[in-house]
Amino acid sequence: MCWTLWIALGLFPLVDGHPTLKTDQNSLEAADTALNHQNGTLNSVLHLDDREKAALEPTWVDPAFPMKELNTSHYPATRAAKVAEHYLNYHHGSPSKWFMVHAIERATSEDIPEVGTKYHIQFSVQEQATKKIVENCIAEILFRQTEGQSTPEVNCTCDDLLKIKTSDADHALYHHIKHQPHLVTGTDIPDSQGNIPKEMEPLWYLGGIGASFIMWQQSNESTLYNMAHIHNVKQLNSENDLLAFDYVVLLHEMVSQEIIHWHMQVAWNPTQGVTVTQCHLLPKDTMKQPSAE
Amino acid sequence: MKGLVFLSVFLVAVYSQKLFIGDQVLRIKAENDEQISILQSLETQEHLQLDFWLHPANPEFPVDIRIPFSNVQAVKVLLESNNIQYSVLIDDVQAVLDEEQHELEVNQKRERLTKSFNFGAYHKLETIYGWMDTLVTQYPNLVSKINIGSTYEGRPMYVLKFSTGGNKRPGIWIDTGIHSREWVTQATGVWTANKIATDYGRDSSITTLLNSMDVFLLILANPDGYAFTHSNNRMWRKTRSKTSGSCIGVDPNRNWNAGFSGPGASNNPCSDSYHGPYAQSEVEVNNIVTFIQQHGQIKSFISVHSYSQLLMVPYGYTCDKPADYQELENVGKSAASALKSLYGTSYQVGNICDVIYPASGGSIDWSYDYGIKYSFAFELRDTGRYGFILPANQIIPTAQETWLGLMHIMQYVQAHPY
Repeated sequence: MCWTLWIALGLFPLVDGHPTLKTDQNSLEAADTALNHQNGTLNSVLHLDDREKAALEPTWVDPAFPMKELNTSHYPATRAAKVAEHYLNYHHGSPSKWFMVHAIERATSEDIPEVGTKYHIQFSVQEQATKKIVENCIAEILFRQTEGQSTPEVNCTCDDLLKIKTSDADHALYHHIKHQPHLVTGTDIPDSQGNIPKEMEPLWYLGGIGASFIMWQQSNESTLYNMAHIHNVKQLNSENDLLAFDYVVLLHEMVSQEIIHWHMQVAWNPTQGVTVTQCHLLPKDTMKQPSAE
Repeated sequence: MKGLVFLSVFLVAVYSQKLFIGDQVLRIKAENDEQISILQSLETQEHLQLDFWLHPANPEFPVDIRIPFSNVQAVKVLLESNNIQYSVLIDDVQAVLDEEQHELEVNQKRERLTKSFNFGAYHKLETIYGWMDTLVTQYPNLVSKINIGSTYEGRPMYVLKFSTGGNKRPGIWIDTGIHSREWVTQATGVWTANKIATDYGRDSSITTLLNSMDVFLLILANPDGYAFTHSNNRMWRKTRSKTSGSCIGVDPNRNWNAGFSGPGASNNPCSDSYHGPYAQSEVEVNNIVTFIQQHGQIKSFISVHSYSQLLMVPYGYTCDKPADYQELENVGKSAASALKSLYGTSYQVGNICDVIYPASGGSIDWSYDYGIKYSFAFELRDTGRYGFILPANQIIPTAQETWLGLMHIMQYVQAHPY
């Protein structure tokens, strides 16, 4: 299931996923163009001319579709920003690079009848390994109103995202794992006290990046996901140059307060990035829960 | 002077064997100058080996003398034959020294226990309960332990009371650990209890606060759940009560009588936000309600949770703002600012319903509607990287910064009686 979705999503940037709207849409389309990915690669530096900048300002374009200014401390903004975080991590994360929302500067939303709600978020993120803060992230998140869950459609760019250079660390890790005599495994990351052995940290990051895919997929306006725990991870044999891992992860969904178990397989190498090749939901009480020592 | 002499006597006792068995200290009241002269001449009698703690000077002041055992009778006869009044201040000096030595050793041991307690680690329930006892023993004039009732599985629920006296002074209530998986909160509760006890008498803010208000701290608001997070499931949130069907436990923060069974709470017993069969069905919640009601003078109610870095005010059961919203939001924002000043940790402030989600049956909604105006809920570190499994090395920094927020609220409450 997950791999077909991956292909579909891989093609997504090539498709203009935005609905055709009614009159006076020029300014919105200009904003859309400015925010769109180009051919699946990241437009990491946002150069806006004055017209484009004006287009990004929330305006009452049409009384039927008003842009609403959101309180950045309130959950509509924080949930939308969290979706952008998952998107950013899945597309740019690695075993050495993992982002968290740092601060939300501004947030607006617009209800699009018969389509859904579109959020615009201006925010900053912090990379966990380097502790560097990346300012000027802009995300557009569309939650479609559908029967059942549908993956939020996200465009997200940050100034200076590429300034976080982890390719050396990634390559070193890749070669280190590739040349191990045995397949790596791990359990209970972190342990009950929150400890993570140094050698497990990259697997923790990788699990988080893989889980970001699932969390992005599963998000809607009534959810807020974080990865709570890695129950276990084991490296799989791989014939190609990708490293492959099998994970069981616990996700925490804040609104329902549920702990949700997912099984996933993740492929990675430093040039291709992280891909979730398989995933499925596990029943609530499948296994013995993680326990403290 | 007497103190210095006592100290030297004491030190001798410590470093040598028992030198003062049967020695007595007499307090002599001379009536006139003649009696003073007699006492002054006694001072010159070196063979008596008298140790004057208060020297004879004039009849207005007592004269204290430590007399070696072998000479006690002789001195008493002398005093009596001269009609000099005296009383026995210390009957057996050695006995007093022995008792003091014993107490010193006991106190040192207790101090080692409380000081050697690792506040930067997560502890089992029994360890925390044991530590609470040592805190009470260490600070008997400030800290006491109240059993507010048993849990579903029969564990005691202990509240630590910090009080310098008075008769039912207005109080501040703080609870941690109502959701058992939120381990940084119970750990913060332990650190905070220690902070209050050790800072009283040294820090002017907490000393001033405790001179007119009492603090009640429930460190383990959900002991059954906490035990379960150690033995079986680190992610357990609810109580451990058996209602109907096969699923166990009720979300104790959806079980209060405030908009009960409204939005943000589930009626499915298997859900982690199950509100329970009826309001206050959970004995743990009922115990707290009973305590608060019986006390009658609680002026602030603070519930501590994790994670998300939020400082919230009522309501959760409705998105309508409470009447005191503006004041509460202002206090919250200043408290968050104080918290942030230590390590830069950012908190968002607002009403539960707008900041995190609608959630009915919550503790601070109940306390606010009960009449406790200054009702606040904290969500401590972090914002999701570690979540519930916050590394132990973040316990103390979290507790330290939270303390600044708590103190701000408590000082405000004290300054705004109602």
